[in-house]
Amino acid sequence: MTALTGLRIIERAARVADEYAGKLLADFGAEVIKIELPGGSATRAMGPFVNGESTVFAWLNTNKKSVVLDPGKAGDHAILHRLLASADALVDGHDAPWREAKSHPHLVHCVITPFGQTAPPAWQQARAINVMSAGGWAWHTPSESAPDSPPLKGPGRFLPDYEAGLEAALCIAASLWRKRQTGKGQFIDISQVGVQLSRADCVIGRMLAGEQEPGPERTRYDMGGPGATFACADGHVFLLMTTSTHWRGLCALMGDPVWAATFPSDWLEFHCTTDRVAEFRMHFSRWATEQHKDSISEAAQKLGVALVQVNTAGDLPRHAQYVHRGFFQTLKGVDYPTVPYHMSGSPVRLTTPAPALGAHSAEVC
Amino acid sequence: MPLPDRGGPLAGVRVLEITKVWAGPYAGKLLAFLGAEVIKVESLSNLDEMRAYGGVDINSAPYFLSINQEVQSVQVNMKSAEGLDLLRQMITRSDILIDNLRPGAMERLGLAYEEVRKVRADIIQVSIKMYGTDGPLGYQTGYAPCFAALGGLTSLVGHADEPPRGMNIRYGDSTVGASAAFAAIAALHHRATTGEGQFIDLSAVEAMSGMVGDSLLAYGLTGNIPQADGNAHPGMVPHGCYPCAEGAWLSLAVATDREWQALCGILGLPDADRLAPSLDAQIGALTSALDADDLAAALLAAGVPAFRSKSSLDLVSDDFLWASGAYRMVTDSHGNSRPVIGPGWRMSPDEATIERAAPLLGEHNDYVYRELLGLSAEALADLINRKVVD
Repeated sequence: MTALTGLRIIERAARVADEYAGKLLADFGAEVIKIELPGGSATRAMGPFVNGESTVFAWLNTNKKSVVLDPGKAGDHAILHRLLASADALVDGHDAPWREAKSHPHLVHCVITPFGQTAPPAWQQARAINVMSAGGWAWHTPSESAPDSPPLKGPGRFLPDYEAGLEAALCIAASLWRKRQTGKGQFIDISQVGVQLSRADCVIGRMLAGEQEPGPERTRYDMGGPGATFACADGHVFLLMTTSTHWRGLCALMGDPVWAATFPSDWLEFHCTTDRVAEFRMHFSRWATEQHKDSISEAAQKLGVALVQVNTAGDLPRHAQYVHRGFFQTLKGVDYPTVPYHMSGSPVRLTTPAPALGAHSAEVC
Repeated sequence: MPLPDRGGPLAGVRVLEITKVWAGPYAGKLLAFLGAEVIKVESLSNLDEMRAYGGVDINSAPYFLSINQEVQSVQVNMKSAEGLDLLRQMITRSDILIDNLRPGAMERLGLAYEEVRKVRADIIQVSIKMYGTDGPLGYQTGYAPCFAALGGLTSLVGHADEPPRGMNIRYGDSTVGASAAFAAIAALHHRATTGEGQFIDLSAVEAMSGMVGDSLLAYGLTGNIPQADGNAHPGMVPHGCYPCAEGAWLSLAVATDREWQALCGILGLPDADRLAPSLDAQIGALTSALDADDLAAALLAAGVPAFRSKSSLDLVSDDFLWASGAYRMVTDSHGNSRPVIGPGWRMSPDEATIERAAPLLGEHNDYVYRELLGLSAEALADLINRKVVD
């Protein structure tokens, strides 16, 4: 049995964040009923497409049911209220919380917006790259950004949506726990930007407290040191190195080259100047270009060096550890990424692919 | 002295955390912010490194103080059999046990799930490791940017035609911690319906993969490997960050024709070709003399999603963030107050209070040993004297 079996969630999504929150709850076993307008969710129109179907929609809607309702129709309005009356929680992506939910105080009602309910309404137009910008991660991404290089949105299109969706699922699960004890609902107001800030708590927090100076530089989140991505013969590796133990290990990995002997043994702790980092990177890059990422990463681990492969989407389905843990699950012949957990008592299972529009209207209504 | 009643949805849930650095403590903090009673197991002989970073006093270390608000601290010397016995007594009184120690460390302490469930049958034990607890690479360890590199996230961040750069080096640990917190609460529901606890084995690397799940599935369905693409977006043009006056940058995400027309009107982009390769440069040439905040306000008023890209200086001086509760003030037991980052949520009614700063080492020894375990003052003094409590 999965963990959230027996709980019914209504999802009325407007953004990817809402659908991701619903997905997490559905993959953990809740019955998630997705209410779509007659035209279907906006994510159904997001590419890339395979056989005319959106891969984004396919990812975000596993294990869910789809019901089409037109709130303008009186009959559908009544169905909606019946559904809300029967549900435990409502995931609501609309800037103004849904009035209908007010007459169902038993509901855990969660609204996800870019800036939370107290923000000026115009700000709620913000899209993912705006949220990444408003929360500070874009300004500081990548590390060591030059002043004339644009701040970056992060990986793919939806990082701040996934972060906020995870936060919403966390809060909904917690609030549903309270509902089990008290029978009472709660209103949850998720700010996507608030989530972005929370994820940087010990970076921004030290600046708020005056222990580290804030500033306009793009490098204010950085840690310094030679850590970076390096090109190999067959891809890229990422190296992080902070101690003389790491340095000794890396020298051994490279076969103790002559140039390395000119570096002080404790340079990472005590003599880590910009010039020395640049000199290190020049030499190391030259060496790395001729290496294969898997073999040096494996050797590095044994020497206590944090040098790892920069894996691509193509590497992971064949990755020994991913295969061992069953991170990808085959559903109707397709390998789906699942969740980062093994749960001994309530394993997460993908049981159904994303539903066709209105596939469950007859069953649910 | 009993702890104050803080309210919140997880009131009455007790969490024991044996955690260090960031991911594990962040999970504990989120659960505490939701109202759980979270007790951090610490000792002088095995200190959270964060109590040492950036300071000499273990009770005023900036990193530690920035993360562990509303968490209790109890000292237990886990190198002594007696200390471990006391720890097991704490476990019998807890719902959730979280650790992010190195692979094998919990087992060496006799705290493998199979052992822990003998003292508390329905315990929910969450273990955070780079690669999970077993498997061919389960022995490996690393830091957050390693999780992101291995999990497929780093390869998707960077300017097109450059080596992938990844998110800022600080990214990753907190997301892993949030993932742990969610699974722990889901398991509470499972316990409520079945009476069973369970072991939750979390892979930090896979948590990063979840943040790019659509890209991973797209590869599985199309066979095309997604690449780092700067700020490009398949459904929006223009989409990116554009230079403004005084070194500022403005983020812009234009999807519809209406938004595009509004943008052209405000920037004075006459008859621009929306698909021209030089579009970003054309826009940048027009924005570079403009004030980022003024331009963002004008664009938002015209229905164009735009926002200033905020530096750390912008963030700490942002009135809205202070007013909306994104930042909070907490106070330690000496009466010192400190601003901290609040949670990404508000709740009503019954939001958990967030008032107490990160704990002094052992601040809650009395509460844990005397109230929870029922020891006398003399017995606790003796444990301290013999460094079982250190």
